[in-house]
Amino acid sequence: MYGYEITQRVMELSDGRISLTEGALYPTLHKLEAEGMLNTEVVNIGKRVRKYYTLTAAGNATAKDRVSEFLDFIETMSSVLQVKFS
Amino acid sequence: MPQLTNDHIDYIIKDLHYRGVVLDGFREEVIDHICSSVEAEMLNNKRFIDAYHHVLKKFGHTHGLRTTQQQVLQTDNKTAKIMLKNYFTIALRNLSKHRFYTFINITGLAIGIASCLIITLYISQDLSFDKHFANADRIYRLDSETHFNGNHFSLAVAPPLAAPTLLHDYPEIEATANFRQWGWRRVRRTTDNIKEQYTVFGSNGIFKTFSLPLLHGNAANALTEPNTVVMSRSKAEQYFPGENPIGQTLIIDNKDNYKVTGVFEDFPATTHFKFDFIFAMPGLEDSKDNSWLSSNFNTYILLRNGASPKDLEAKFPKMVETYIGPQVKSFFGNDFSMQDFAAKGNKIQYMLTPLLSIHLHSDKTGELGTNSDITYVYLFGAVAFFILTIACINFMNLSTARSANRAKEVGVRKVLGSLRSHLVRQFLMESILLSFFSFMIALAIVYLVLPAFNVLAERNLVVPITPLFVATLVLAALVIGLLAGIYPSLFLSAFKPVNVLKGKVALGMKSGAVRSSLVVFQFMISIFLVIGTITVTKQMDFIQNKKLGFKKDQVIILHNAELLENQHETFRNEMLKVAGITNVSVAGFLPIAGWGRNDNSFWPYGKQPSQENLISMQNWAVDTDYISTLGMEIVQGRDFSRAFPSDSTAIILNESAVKRYGFKDPIGEKIVTGNNGDFGHTITYTVIGVMRDFHFESLKQNITPLGIHLGKSGWSMSIRFASSNTASVIQDVEKTWKKFQPGQPFEYTFLDQAFGKMYTAEKRLERLFGIFAALAIMIACLGLFALTAFTAEQRTKEIGIRKVLGASVASIVLLLSKEFGKLIVISFILAAPLSWYAVNRWLENYTYKTEIGIAVYLFAGAAAFLVAWLTMGFQSVKAARSNPVNSLRSE
Repeated sequence: MYGYEITQRVMELSDGRISLTEGALYPTLHKLEAEGMLNTEVVNIGKRVRKYYTLTAAGNATAKDRVSEFLDFIETMSSVLQVKFS
Repeated sequence: MPQLTNDHIDYIIKDLHYRGVVLDGFREEVIDHICSSVEAEMLNNKRFIDAYHHVLKKFGHTHGLRTTQQQVLQTDNKTAKIMLKNYFTIALRNLSKHRFYTFINITGLAIGIASCLIITLYISQDLSFDKHFANADRIYRLDSETHFNGNHFSLAVAPPLAAPTLLHDYPEIEATANFRQWGWRRVRRTTDNIKEQYTVFGSNGIFKTFSLPLLHGNAANALTEPNTVVMSRSKAEQYFPGENPIGQTLIIDNKDNYKVTGVFEDFPATTHFKFDFIFAMPGLEDSKDNSWLSSNFNTYILLRNGASPKDLEAKFPKMVETYIGPQVKSFFGNDFSMQDFAAKGNKIQYMLTPLLSIHLHSDKTGELGTNSDITYVYLFGAVAFFILTIACINFMNLSTARSANRAKEVGVRKVLGSLRSHLVRQFLMESILLSFFSFMIALAIVYLVLPAFNVLAERNLVVPITPLFVATLVLAALVIGLLAGIYPSLFLSAFKPVNVLKGKVALGMKSGAVRSSLVVFQFMISIFLVIGTITVTKQMDFIQNKKLGFKKDQVIILHNAELLENQHETFRNEMLKVAGITNVSVAGFLPIAGWGRNDNSFWPYGKQPSQENLISMQNWAVDTDYISTLGMEIVQGRDFSRAFPSDSTAIILNESAVKRYGFKDPIGEKIVTGNNGDFGHTITYTVIGVMRDFHFESLKQNITPLGIHLGKSGWSMSIRFASSNTASVIQDVEKTWKKFQPGQPFEYTFLDQAFGKMYTAEKRLERLFGIFAALAIMIACLGLFALTAFTAEQRTKEIGIRKVLGASVASIVLLLSKEFGKLIVISFILAAPLSWYAVNRWLENYTYKTEIGIAVYLFAGAAAFLVAWLTMGFQSVKAARSNPVNSLRSE
C-alpha cells in the first residue's frame, strides 16, 4: 500500500470516522522503515513515483504482538470499567 | 478516475518545490499523495486548482508541509546507519577527489604509526621482563653495596652461605635459591664436544623460588646430588633426540660425568637470565665455603605472601654484624671494630632488588645477563610519541589549509540546513576514515619491516594478533582520527555561511597562526632528533678512536687455549713461524670488559696491613710478551724479560696505581699481597716498570689501579699480526690449532671486535635513533611539501600577476619560501637549548666524552633548513615557472 491508499483504507474501514493526517503518517512510515518493520518498493507511474510499503517478517510479528497487547488492554479496561463489548 | 494531465502534475511539482518540499524520498511521496487526492476530489467535479488547494489545506499548507518534512528528516537522521553511510560516501568522494593530499596524509600517518607501533612493541617487551614467573612480585635478589677505602662495589652477587642462612634465619622467607655463573663449558655426549655458553650452577631451591616446573624429573631432588644436571627442553632434544634424557650421562669439559636429572621448558626471551644447563650446586666446592667476604652467588629469595621486603631489609644490618663482622675482624686483627669501620665511611650493606625491576633498573657487578636500561624505554617512548605527533600535525595542517577549498561546501551545506554538529561529524568521519586506512597500511609496513628491525635491534619481536591488540589498534585509530580531526572539523564548521558564500572567508594561509606554530613544533622536534643522533654518533666514534693506551687492531684472540695445557710454549713458537704473525702472548686477562679480572688488596712492603694502607688493585697474571703483543706503552722502567729470572716476582703498575700508592720513584718499590687473599701467606712484588694508563673497562668508567705480573692465565691467547691478508693468517692459525688439538673447536675473536662489543647497546641506540630521526624529518617534510604545494596553488593568480608585471622566477621562489623559512629558523632557535640540555644529560654517563660544539647545532639547523627548503623549492619553482597565461586566463 502507498501512503494515500493507507489513508483511504483507514477512512473506509472506520466509516469515515478516522482520518489519518498526512503530517503524522509520513514520519511514522519513515520511522518504521528505518526500524526494519517495513519494506518499500518504488514504482514509476508516468511522471509520478509511487512508493509501496509492505510489512517485513519482523514487522508482521511486531504487529501481531501490538494487536494482541491492544486487545488485552481493551479487555482489561472493559473489566475495570464493568462494560461489555458486544 | 480522471487522470491528471502532465501540465497539472508539473504544476504540482513546481509549486511544491517552491514551497520548500525538497527532501529526497519524501518529495516523491507527497507528490503522489497529493495527485491521488486531487484526482479523487476532481471526481466530484471540482476544478483542479480548487481541489489542489483543498488538498494542500489538509497538509497544513506550506508550514505543515515543511514541519512534516522536518520530522521525516529527523527520523531519517536518527537512524545512524543511513547517516553514517551518507557521511562515509561523502568522505570517500572527498578523499578520492583530492588524491594528492589524501596520499600525503595517509603516507605520513602510516609511517608515523608504523614507527610508533614498532617502538611500542620494543618497549613493551622490555617492560614485560620476568613477569612470566608465577610469583614474580614476591621474588627478590639479594644485592650488596660495599664501600671500603675509597672503593665502591655494587654487587648483584652474595656470599655462598647467604641463601641457606637467610632461609634458616627469617621465617618470612618461603624459599631461596642461588646461582653461580660458570661461563662456557664443553659438553659432550659421545664424541664431539659442543661449547655451551649458557651454563650455571644452581641450588635445588630454584624450582620452588621461581615456581619452575620440570617437564621430566622430580623437582624435589633434581639438583641435590653432586654431578647432576637439569637441562632445557631444546638442549635435551638436541642431545637426546627422541629419547628420555633422564638418567643419561653427559661429559663436561672432557672429564666430569654428569647425570641428567631433569628437563625444564626453555626460559622465555623475556627473562633476565638464560640457562641451558643448570649443574647441581653441591658439586661446586666454592658453595661450601663459609666465607662471607667473597661474593659470587646470585641469590634469589621468595617472600611469603604478605611479607614486606622493607621489614626484611631492616633486619640485614644485624645479619652483617652476626656473620660478616667476626670474619672482617679476624682478617684485620684484633684492634678492629665494626664501629670504627663504619666511622671511616666504610659500609657493607645488603638490600633486596625486586625481580621485576632487575632488567630495567639494575646494572651491578655480577649480573646474570646484560640488562637494559629504563632510560632507553623513556627515550624510545618519547621518540615514538614525537613521530606520532609530527604525523598528526601534518594531518591537521593539511586539513585546515584545505579549508579554503571546502569553505563553499560548508556554506552551502549550512544554508541547506546542516547543523554544525552534522558538519563536525562529517569531517570527523573523514579523518577517522583516513586514520583507519593509515592503520591498515601501517600494519602492513610493520609486518614487512619487523624482521629487519629485529636484526637491527637484536630482538625477536612479533606482531601479537590477539583480540586485545586488535581492539587497542582500533581504539587507537579512533582516538588518533578524532584527535587529528577535531581541530579541522571545529575550524571548518565554524564558518559563517554568509561570509563564506560572499567569498570573504579566509583562504588557506590566513589565520595560520596555529598552523605555523605546529610547523615550528614539528621542525623543533626534528632538529632535536638530528642533534641527538649526531651526538650519539660522535660519542661512539670518539670511543672507537680514542687513544686507548693499547692497540686494538690486528690482534686475534684465540679461545680455549687452556686445552693446550703444557704445550703453550711449543704452540707459541709454532705460531711465530707463521708469516705475518709478529707477537704471541698467552694471557687470559684482556683490556676488554667481561674478560678475566682479579682484584686483590695490596699494601706497601714493610708495613702491617690495616684499613688505612690497603689498596685494592687489579692484579693480572700475564706472560713476558703481553705488553709487546697488546701494544701498551712503558713510560718508566722496563718490560718483563726472559733474561731476568727474578721477574717472577716483578710487577708493572699503571700510572693510576703509582698515583694511588703515592710512589715518587716507583721503580724498585715493593708491594705485598696475601696469597689468594690469605694474609697469612704473603707475596712481595718489586715494581720494575710503569705503563701508561690504558682503558681496560668500558669508557663509561675511570681507569683504576692495575698491576701485571708473570703468571699463568692460559685460557686465551693473543696473536698480533702485521698482514693485510687476515684470512690467510686465520687459516694458518687454524691449521696449527688442528695439529695440536684435533677435534676441539677452533674459536677466535678479533680484539677490535670484542672491544666494539662493549658498546653494542650504544651502537644499537645510535642506529635506531638515526633511523627514527630520519623518519621524523621525512614525515615533517612530507607535510611541508603538501603545505607549500597548497600555498602555491592558492597564490597562482598572485604569482601570475607578479610575473606579468615583471617578477623574476628567483624572486617568486624567495617569496614563497620566505614564509616557511622563517618558521624553520624559529624552530631551530627553540630546539637548540633543549637539545643542549638533553645532550649534556646523556653525556654525563661517560667519563670520557666528546665535545659537542656549536658546529653540530648549526649543522643540524642547516640540514633541517636545507631539506625543508629543497622540499619547498621544488613546489615554488614549479609555481614560479608556470606560464602566467594559464593561471590568469580562467574566470
